Amino acid sequence: MGFEIMEDIRKDYVYDLIESGKRVDGRGFREYREISVERDVITRAEGSALVKIGETVILVGVKLEPGEPFADAPNEGVIMTNAELVPMASPDFEPGPPDENSVELARVVDRGIRGSKTIELEKLCIEGGEKVWMVFIDIHVLDNDGNLVDAAALGAIASLLNAHMPTEKYGLSGDDTLPIRDTPVAVTTVEIGGNILADPNLYEETAATSKLTVISNADGTLSGMQKSGSGGLKEEEIAEMVEIGIEKAGEIRRKYLVT
Amino acid sequence: MMKEEIQLIKEGKRLDGRGFEELRPIKIEVGVLKRADGSCYFELGNNKVIAAVYGPREMHPRHFQDAKMAVIKYRYNMAPFSVDDRKRPGPDRRSVEISKVSREALDPVILKEYYPKTAIDVYVEVLQSDAGTRTAGINAASVALAAAGIPMKDLVSSVAVGKIDGEVVLDLNAVEDNYGEGDMPVAMVARTNTITMLQMDGRFSQEEFERGLKLAASACRTIYELQRTALLERYSESMGEGEA
Amino acid sequence: MYKVVIPGDFLSEEANRAGEGTYVDDGKVYAMKYGIMDDKEEIKVVGLAGKYVPSKGDIVIGKIVEISFPYWIVDIASPYEARLHISELAKGDERRIEFGSMNKYLYLGDLIVAKVLNVDAMMRVDLALKDEFKIGGRGRLIEISHTKVPRVIGRSGSMIKMLKEKCNCFIFIAKNGRIWIKGSDDEMNRASQVVLMIANEAHTSGLTDRVGDFLDSFKKRRG
Repeated sequence: MGFEIMEDIRKDYVYDLIESGKRVDGRGFREYREISVERDVITRAEGSALVKIGETVILVGVKLEPGEPFADAPNEGVIMTNAELVPMASPDFEPGPPDENSVELARVVDRGIRGSKTIELEKLCIEGGEKVWMVFIDIHVLDNDGNLVDAAALGAIASLLNAHMPTEKYGLSGDDTLPIRDTPVAVTTVEIGGNILADPNLYEETAATSKLTVISNADGTLSGMQKSGSGGLKEEEIAEMVEIGIEKAGEIRRKYLVT
Repeated sequence: MMKEEIQLIKEGKRLDGRGFEELRPIKIEVGVLKRADGSCYFELGNNKVIAAVYGPREMHPRHFQDAKMAVIKYRYNMAPFSVDDRKRPGPDRRSVEISKVSREALDPVILKEYYPKTAIDVYVEVLQSDAGTRTAGINAASVALAAAGIPMKDLVSSVAVGKIDGEVVLDLNAVEDNYGEGDMPVAMVARTNTITMLQMDGRFSQEEFERGLKLAASACRTIYELQRTALLERYSESMGEGEA
Repeated sequence: MYKVVIPGDFLSEEANRAGEGTYVDDGKVYAMKYGIMDDKEEIKVVGLAGKYVPSKGDIVIGKIVEISFPYWIVDIASPYEARLHISELAKGDERRIEFGSMNKYLYLGDLIVAKVLNVDAMMRVDLALKDEFKIGGRGRLIEISHTKVPRVIGRSGSMIKMLKEKCNCFIFIAKNGRIWIKGSDDEMNRASQVVLMIANEAHTSGLTDRVGDFLDSFKKRRG
């Protein structure tokens, strides 16, 4: 609280600044806000991480429970990703069932993890066709100051890396570390007045008409993308966004995910 | 499934080493969220809750407005990962009831007449649960309301007492709550000794109830001092000797 | 010296001196807000946070959010919207403003400087226009908590005077926490930065000196 620029004027302000090569909070165009990742904050969960990007705060918890597999993959574990934009996080969030924004957030994070085959689902079979491990990834948004996707995706992979399987609790035997083989990282950029900005804060997100999330893996391959917003993007802009995505994902991975 | 018996008191101590009249460690932080008008993080042992306050703000839809005073809305919500077995997201009967009694616990101290026609939203998120979340939520919400600048007569403090192995004890943890004989959450205005929430389940004798209530009252005064200190400390560091 | 108090804190036995931000219970004065105690003729508590509630005579900056004949509905950074009657614009000559032509005078999103004419028991807020009411052209509007406004103005206007001089800007501060700044881009940036600094550090000691130093350092850096 405290400092707010009124919405319509804010857009002009954000534009004006970017035209002169600056951002509202003084960052470089490709620079992230300060990131912090605190793991295992929720001991009730099998894995968890509190992620802050600037003043955006997200808590991700991973729970594992035995359940029934899908008919088309009887020997594989199941991933369920869910996001809640709880009304605590913003004056614009309303209580109630998930709206399109929380569904999109959950699905983008889910796609990154699924597409990269990060979780070795074939190792999560307890009894073929009958019982497999269900991996619940719950994203709890606590404070929205922009770029929820990157924070949620980082929280998800950080939680998974530390998650254990509650084998004892369910009277099962076997390895209790969750088998993880990759580290997908989401990097979101926006386009404002022909400039590409990484890690948009809330002001910039409101001012931008297009946003692109690029999820990339340890080997530089891509495993998820989502363009959102009502504006269009040029091919060369997308190329730049992907390049930034891979570069930044590498930095974030080295700094926050290598244990 | 039959509930197995667990011995909850050994050699005069509880399983976590506490005495009968001992609270779990408490940690309070004020102003933890940027977007909310007031917020508070509250830890009680392994319970971790955050409360956020928005408002007073315009009440929508309008027909819920009260022409004479602000309307308090309270939403208690558990994160899916806050409990051992994942909780399905969204409200259930338990959280609806807790939201109601928690709102009524705070209602008597809020000077609602200063903001007619508005809504004051109180959101409590339980991030980790270990029995006593509603009391932790009320403690957090009370501090968050003050931090949001809402006019209030007092803070509200809350704690539960319970009965384990036949003894009346303070502030049950999850194991004690599951295997004990009774639980009684209380909220009160410490300064005036006014009780604003009282629930009970289990079986207490009249004498045990009275003793429990006294125990809760004394713990609420302790919690009140911690709430007060948290609010004062938020400004004391930066204030120094003050500028005239 | 500042004394921070919280709701329910006992302040005084003298019920006759109870002022704003306090309440009397059983003949004693208590704080009803989290804030700073001000113990002069009256005992008051100045809130450290809280929403703006308009009162008669306040000068506010508002934004037109709705046109509902014969009123413009104005957002004044408060839980309460205000209204401006068409007669406020038809004043002074024989003009009549018809239903369909209201948007020629003030349109959605327009910013105005206005005075709170009246607040009734139903919290209906009526506005009157100032002579120079319309805000436009190049400039910047920033919004801070109304509780920080006295700090931005400073004791007998000392802070705002320094700001205006050293930033070489037009700065208008309204009671509801909205501040209008006009100047060159650089000047506006600097002034906004300083206002932000004051709002964030409103309750710290030696603030006026720090703001002064900050503004001077800025000048030096720019040569």
